[in-house]
Amino acid sequence: MLHTLNRYTFILIVFLLSCNNQNEMQVNNSLSNTNVTTIQHTFSNTKMVYIPGGEYKPFYGSDSVLTKVAPYLLDERAVTNSEFLAFVKANPQWQRSNVKRIFADSTYLKDWQSDTELPKNANPDAPICYVSWFAAKAYAQSVAKRLPTLDEWEFMAMADETSPNARNKPSYSDDIISLYLIKERQYNAVKQTKPNYWGVYNVFDLIWEWTDDFNSILTTNDSRTGQYEDQSLFCAGSATSSTDVLNYAAFMRFALRTSVKANYTIANLGFRCAKDTIINKK
Amino acid sequence: MKMKHISYIIFSIIFLFTSCKENKPTVTELPSDSIFNLTSNWKNQYGDSLQLKDLQGKTLVVVMIYTTCKSACPILVSKMKTIESKINRKEINNVSLVLVSIDPETDTPEKLKEFAKTNKMEAPQWIFLTSNELDTQEFANVLSLKYKKISPIDFSHSNIISVFSSQGQLVTQEEGTIDVDKVVKTVHELAKK
Amino acid sequence: MTNKLIMLSLIMTVILGACKNGTESGHVSGVNMIADGEPQVAEVTGAPNVPAPVGNRGPKKWIVNLETTEIEGIIADSTSYTFWTFNNTVPGSFIRVRVGDEVTLNLKNAANSVLPHNIDLHAVTGPGGGAEATTAAPGKEASFTFKAINPGLYVYHCAAPPVPMHIGNGMYGLILVEPEGGLPKVDREYYIMQGDFYTKASTAKKGLYEFDNDKAVAENPDYVLFNGKKGSLLGANMLTAKVGETVRLFVGNGGPNLTSSFHVIGEIFDNVYLEGGSKVSHNIQTTMIPAGGSAIVEFKCEVPGEFVLVDHSLSRAFNKGAIGKLKVTGDANPKVFKADHK
Repeated sequence: MLHTLNRYTFILIVFLLSCNNQNEMQVNNSLSNTNVTTIQHTFSNTKMVYIPGGEYKPFYGSDSVLTKVAPYLLDERAVTNSEFLAFVKANPQWQRSNVKRIFADSTYLKDWQSDTELPKNANPDAPICYVSWFAAKAYAQSVAKRLPTLDEWEFMAMADETSPNARNKPSYSDDIISLYLIKERQYNAVKQTKPNYWGVYNVFDLIWEWTDDFNSILTTNDSRTGQYEDQSLFCAGSATSSTDVLNYAAFMRFALRTSVKANYTIANLGFRCAKDTIINKK
Repeated sequence: MKMKHISYIIFSIIFLFTSCKENKPTVTELPSDSIFNLTSNWKNQYGDSLQLKDLQGKTLVVVMIYTTCKSACPILVSKMKTIESKINRKEINNVSLVLVSIDPETDTPEKLKEFAKTNKMEAPQWIFLTSNELDTQEFANVLSLKYKKISPIDFSHSNIISVFSSQGQLVTQEEGTIDVDKVVKTVHELAKK
Repeated sequence: MTNKLIMLSLIMTVILGACKNGTESGHVSGVNMIADGEPQVAEVTGAPNVPAPVGNRGPKKWIVNLETTEIEGIIADSTSYTFWTFNNTVPGSFIRVRVGDEVTLNLKNAANSVLPHNIDLHAVTGPGGGAEATTAAPGKEASFTFKAINPGLYVYHCAAPPVPMHIGNGMYGLILVEPEGGLPKVDREYYIMQGDFYTKASTAKKGLYEFDNDKAVAENPDYVLFNGKKGSLLGANMLTAKVGETVRLFVGNGGPNLTSSFHVIGEIFDNVYLEGGSKVSHNIQTTMIPAGGSAIVEFKCEVPGEFVLVDHSLSRAFNKGAIGKLKVTGDANPKVFKADHK
């Protein structure tokens, strides 16, 4: 009697387990379609340049506070159409017809001829655009890199062709704005113009670039409006809380960053990757 | 006697089997814009590991806070409590009020449990979640919430209370001076569906 | 004597009553007016035209669609300039509603825009005049709904940073909120907006001019223009009217920096709605229009001729472009004006 009961219990447990397994398999199957964290590696031979970091005055914040930027490596150029194509081939969940709306809005990879074909007449060496922050992050993961932080990017962008910090040169902001005002620059190939002091190409002349913490610029309705000026990006606010009111180019970058959401995909918004480094060449 | 046992066991097996089957559609048919598509790993205030999709099936009222916050978060927490108290008691079983930590380093499951106790948020509808920095950032971005660590213990962040459907789709967001009644109304309308 | 007293008190009562009525109707708050019906898409127009008057209609719901664009256009002679616009024109489309109307403003930022844009309407009571609510990244849309609660002629403009640059490139326009019952009927209405432009040659594209920040900060414009283009109200583009007609000009000043001293040579403004508000002043020669402000001016055309519209800070008119013309045709009226030819 007891024996038989045990046997039945055993059967029950087996059933239970198999049931669980089935369930898990189901879950795993669905995960492999959607999981953003399971990213197939793709090959990248993009040269990375060493940025030594240091202290710098962020564009927003109080005047006296310097922010420290640790040394890091940065792609010398933006991720290109052909590189992103290889990425979506290896990671079908990032193809246009498979991507989840929560990770990329309806214009994701707009103009592509299919899931695995670039837009007609697209230059394979032009920067990839119409990609969301999530997609950029997944790509970076696929090449064992990450997105640069806002501070890292802005630190690098202080350079012109000849000096690491050109902020005080009268033409610095103006020249950038001249570039910013030209439309449809994003269709040009990378690396056709001169690099900056650090060897970074196309900092201003092709695209806007995602940064990892683009969402760290606080505008209205924040918990500390005293410290981070309420409405700091509208009207008078922007004149009082930025540290460099004549740097209109920076205003434009920050305006763009605060206007986007992580699943936005935009015609002239792409990215490049960064990486930590333990080397300190200083 | 023996027969009774057997039929009992067979019944249980069938029951388990069918319940097992029933789980399938909920796993596979998520809307494309559902937050349950996120695969980040979280811990609740009891230390249980979970993913967001484990919250599926109930209306979610979500806020991001950190427990050591002295300025805006206490207001947000009290707003959440007001919302909870105003939800129809018949509907409360179909609602989860979720507080997600912006500061996963400090807000361990134990801390969250303590916080829940202090603030009398121990009923089953209260869920506190903490993860790691990366997944927290991802979740904040899904909510379009802006935040920045401004010192080792302080964060600056936007004040948003979001309502998600039982399928994880964003229904509404209240930002800044949060209209509690509007949130309650949204929750009520979702309950009717 | 007593009769006279009674008469006087009667007159007083009537005046007082009328006065009371006047203030009461003036105090019916736009907030509590109920906008009827389903929202309809509002007609908007490019300068110098304005949409039809609201007349006697009650408060309604409207949808106003505006698109922000960045386009190359002619600023003067054959000089190309990068304008930023609402609906591809400088100034942007004229919006015409009445007190109590409920307006849903949809702002679409063109897909090929480089920058985010938004709209701050001075006619809006609420945070940023709608600026934050409407901030749209390139290719995106944003919208908000407001109730027009104060009558007047209001400027709207883009308030995305850097604001002086967005305005300096032409991102402004006018929204008229008519009082209950509408403005008094006139024969002709026109839309004029002044703006100051600061230019320099682009270093990135030959032959193209663009915003010069240094000149803007120094408030030293190359151009001060009506309706975003030198000669926009000259030659074939002159405004027109006939002798005997009453003309109403909705005049705005986008700035970003200069205050306009608006004057029509050879006319006296019979009525000026000072700063675009409810106070009407009479017999005005020149009216000040602040940057980000407006005025409504009305005058009757008594005699034919070409009447020159200027910013009476005259170097702007004769050297920087702030000049336009109203051509009045019809019979001469020697009682009013007669040249004594020798």
